[in-house]
This record gives sequence, structure tokens and C-alpha cells, in this order.
Amino acid sequence: MNIYRYEESNKWFDRAVKVIPCGVYGHFSPAPYAPVEAYPFFSNKADAARFWDVDGNEFIDYMCAYGPMVLGYNHPAVEAAFQEQHSLSDANSVASPRMVELAELLCDLVPVAEWAFFARNGADVTNLAVMVARAATGRDKVIAIKGGYHGTSPWMQAPGHHGTIADDHQHVIRIPWNDLNALDQVLAEHGSQVAAFMASPYHHPIFEDNVLPAEGYWQAVIDKLHKNGSVVIVDDVRAGFRLHLGGSNEHYGFKPDMIAFSKAIANGYALSALVGTDALRLDAAKVFHTGSFWYCAGSFAAAIACLTTLKAEKGPERMRVLGEKLTSGLRDVAAGHGYTLVVSGEPAMPYLRLADDDTLMLQQAWCGECTRRGAFFTSHHNWFLSTAHTDGDIEKTLQIADDAFKVIKSEFGH
Amino acid sequence: MIDQLKARLNLKAVLRNVELLPEIDDLSRELIKDWEISIRLSIWRDTNILLNFHNGRCTFLADTIEKGTVSLFFCSAAHLNNMMENNASPLPLSGFTRLGFLKTEFSKLTSRLEYFLKPPSDVVQDDRFKMINLSLALSTAVFAIPELLQLDPVSRRIAPQLSAGTLQLSVLPEGPYAHVIYDGKGGAKAFTGKAAHPDALLSFRNPEIAQLLVDGTLDSFGAVAKGDIQLRGKIPLIDHTNVILDQIPKYLQ
Repeated sequence: MNIYRYEESNKWFDRAVKVIPCGVYGHFSPAPYAPVEAYPFFSNKADAARFWDVDGNEFIDYMCAYGPMVLGYNHPAVEAAFQEQHSLSDANSVASPRMVELAELLCDLVPVAEWAFFARNGADVTNLAVMVARAATGRDKVIAIKGGYHGTSPWMQAPGHHGTIADDHQHVIRIPWNDLNALDQVLAEHGSQVAAFMASPYHHPIFEDNVLPAEGYWQAVIDKLHKNGSVVIVDDVRAGFRLHLGGSNEHYGFKPDMIAFSKAIANGYALSALVGTDALRLDAAKVFHTGSFWYCAGSFAAAIACLTTLKAEKGPERMRVLGEKLTSGLRDVAAGHGYTLVVSGEPAMPYLRLADDDTLMLQQAWCGECTRRGAFFTSHHNWFLSTAHTDGDIEKTLQIADDAFKVIKSEFGH
Repeated sequence: MIDQLKARLNLKAVLRNVELLPEIDDLSRELIKDWEISIRLSIWRDTNILLNFHNGRCTFLADTIEKGTVSLFFCSAAHLNNMMENNASPLPLSGFTRLGFLKTEFSKLTSRLEYFLKPPSDVVQDDRFKMINLSLALSTAVFAIPELLQLDPVSRRIAPQLSAGTLQLSVLPEGPYAHVIYDGKGGAKAFTGKAAHPDALLSFRNPEIAQLLVDGTLDSFGAVAKGDIQLRGKIPLIDHTNVILDQIPKYLQ
């Protein structure tokens, strides 16, 4: 099997680091890629479920641009919709009818949605959701989950990290996932100050197994928060439209007050949406929140095409089936080498961990060996399936995984 | 609070190196080979350390009830910090007959420590010098972590996010090594040398790379991408530790 090398990627990184802080920053940063030499940093070509790095290496992409690519890169219906709108008008001085059409589509697809507000990135709308909740309740505090991720605004970051100050976290109370007793305790102590509870529909931290909601957890959260006069927000930025087209809350059977979407909404075009119930419509209207590119119409057209295609192709069901095939196949391959692969989260966006080494070093070595053979696996973050992945991709991935296990077994033993 | 933390860092991270120095520096080893003395430094209503010289070795104890042959007392954290900057003298409580030793022999050892930690600009930094300098800098850094977690405001905000686990810092290919064991409750213990079962590894490709980081002239993200700094295992432990280590220059120059 061909083992990839990354000379051109490294040359681009050398250029990047001279003019860009970190060279490649944020979630594309090399920092969590261990071993870093197993990973490419730059690509300028992608199609369907694959991308090619600047060295020409071909990868079956299980990160899907960290979520946005849900129908596959260069999906013809999405690209056509975007190009048509872009050629007519993208940036403009007044709003596009496509924005209205997309809001109508979301209100049709998502049972909770009685209005929709659009922005560009996930954090735009998680921030907006908190502002709306504060406007609606007149309260300050937000309850969130330890290890939960809602973007990189200062209040969302890990306390103490660079660029944040203690006051940023003054009104954020973190509690463990699935812990109703902890929620009760916070409400008992701070109830009159709690504007909102915000969490992803299931717990998908990095570097840890993902955890589904316990039976009845979400409904209990909603009951307790509503009794307290507080708002329930689901951050569905990462999982939205991969588990259920009505929002991941429909997959689990509950209805929050607001849902934040982004990533998969427009198959790679920059867009996010906050949807909510009618009870919050006036408060959402009163909050001033905007950005220079939030009205660009091409992304609205792309989103309409993306969501329509996902619905027609039963996208979430297809990704679930593909994810189950991939993860069960990988578990079998691992077992054949005497390893235990733990799969957590949802099949359409699984998190995998080798249970044979709780330091993650074995896991990192295996993901690195898979990547340098053409299956782009990260070791710290859940993966993503798309409707563009094929059975053939999965078969090839299993062969790569088998080869990679042979390598790490010779290096690490068992 | 700042004075208190600075004093604890001076005692438990900087002066602690008196234990390590004779192990890695021939001149220091020669200096202490016949010393049979224990020196206690204590700050009123705060912390204390004991440097025990015996059989050509030094052992370090912190927060001990053991009395020293010589006992030096500081009225406050600021008093100790002033002494570290040569602007004050300690109050001897016992061992008056050995005060001469402190001013002559022991001063030679602390001067030697200062020589490596704050090298004169004209010193010739050969490989041996660099290795000793790096060993002491690494030791100072890891032993600062438990103190910072207790008293530094930023590190205290990091503390609840640190899961239990052991982080090993390695300068490849032959050391020095140090490791920190986090207890998962916001506390930590530091050690020089390799860890038995590290959960995370932060490794420098060679001493030159490590030295650049110590000097504050290395782009650490670029170094990670180039493999000059290698991260393995539970990377959040490394991530959080880096933030803690970044606080050291606020207290130690």
C-alpha cells in the first residue's frame, strides 16, 4: 500500500507560518494531529467524498470539512443553485428573496421553527440564541455542559485560556452531561438568574467518548427550565441535518425553544441559522445582530438545494446506514488484530477509540497510519459520514484500516 | 498573593534546583562533597523548605517539620523575594556557628545556580553548559506548576479542567526529562526524570529546539507542524499545561 508523503504541504506550511499566526489556525491547526507527520495541511481539490492534498495524495474524507460537506464536495444540485444565484446577485444592498424561501423551508422542515434568522458561522447563532434568551428573560446566566463546544467567543472558551478574562465566564455555569441532579443544584442556587440552558443534542466532546442523552434527560431538562422561566437552546451546529432533517431533537423526541444550525445546512457554503418558537419571535426581532456577509444570497440558494436534496435522498438514513457499516467493519478489523475499537456517538458522526490504550497514543498511531494510506481519520474528534460516501469507499477504508493495524501491532504489540 | 506565589516559586521551583545541580554539574558536586549540613528556609505563616546535604548529595524537602542545622527565617514572602534579589538578608534562628559557611561555601553553590539560570551575556555556552541550563529550566518549569495551580489566578481557572494523568516533558534524544502528575482535583506533583506510565508526551526534537522555547523565541505551533515539538496521548493535558507554564514569567524573570 502506498504511504503518503507531504513535501508540498510542508512547503506551504513554511510559507504560511511566516505570514499567518500558527500557519494554520483553529480546528485545522496541526496541534491535535498526532503524529503530525501523518497528516497533510493543504489541499486545493475535492470531489464527492474525497479530497486531494497539494502533493496529489487522494483521501477518502471522514471529516467532511469538519461537518459542512454532507452531500459530497461539488454536489451538482448545490453547485448549480449557488452559481445561478451568484450570477444573478450574491452580495447586495437589500435582502434576497432566497432568504425568505430558505426561512419558509426551515419552518416547514423543522417542527420547532416558527421563524429563522441567518448568519454565517455556528458561533454567530449560538451567540444570538443567548442574546435572545437574555432579552426574553431579563436574566444573565447560561447553563452549559462541561466539555461542550459552542464556538470560540470568549464566554464559550475554556476558562483561563489565552485572550479570555475571568469576567467572560462570570455568567456561564458548566455542569456534567446527563446530570439532572447537577442541574437541580444550579437551579436551586441561581434559578432566578438563569436565562438559558444550552447543549448539543448529544454530548460530543473531543478526546473523549461521545455520550447520547439518557432516557428522559432532555424532557426533564425542558420541564425544569420552563418551570424556572428559562429558555432551552439546542446547539445543533455539528449534528444538525445529519441525524434528522427536523433537527436532531426530533431524532431524540423533544422540542427545545431555539435550535442553532450551521455546518451541513448548505453543503459547504457559509451559512448558519437560528430557529425558534413563536414565543421568542419578538425578542429575536429586538436583538441587533448582523454581519457584512450575512445576506449573501448564494449561500441561501445552496442551502435550499442542500436541504431539498437531503430530504429527497433520505440523507440522514443513508448516513446512518453507511456509518453503521463503516464502524461495524472497523470493529471487526480491529478484533481480527486483537484490538478493541469502541464506537460512541451516532453512526453518521461516530467517535472511535481503541480501548487497548487509555492514553490515546495507540489510537493516534492507528489514525495516522490510516491517514497516510488514504483514509483521513482524526484521533481526537468525531468523524462525519456524507451521502457521497459509497460502499466501495468503505471497503477500501477497511483494507486501509487492516494494513494500519498490522503496522501498529508491529510497533506497539498488544 | 503575588508576593506569596513568587516566594513559593523561588523556594520550591528555583532553589529546589540546588538538589539537582550537583547531579549534573561537576563543579557543584565537588563543592558539596564533604558538606554535612541541613539548611531550613521558612516564611512566617507560610511555607518552608529544607536542603539537606549529606554524603555528597543534596535532598530537598518542602513543608517539613524537620529542623535544619541552620534555620533561616523570613518575616514575609516579600522578605524572601528581596533576599533572592540580593536586597535583604534572612534572620538566622539557629546554627549561628555556621553562618560563615552560608556566606562563603553555600553562596558559591547558589552563585553557581544563578550562573546557569541567568547566564552572563559573555559566557561561552558549550554543549555541557546548555544541557545544564536546560535541565534546570525544565526542572524550574515543572516544579512551578503545583504552586501556580494553587495561587495564580489564570492557572486556578485552568485547574478544574485538568483531568487526572501524567504528562512527560522530554528533550530528545537523551534528555533531560521531567513529568507532572495531575490528580484530577486541581492539584499536581512534579518530578524530574521519566514517568513510568505517561498519559501524554510533550517532546522536543533536540536541545536546541527546547532552548528556543525556553528563550521565548520559538513559534511553538510552527514547531509542532514541523515535528520539532511532538505531542502524543492526552493532548488536553499538554494544552492546559502550556497555559500554566505561560504564567511563569509573570513571577520569575
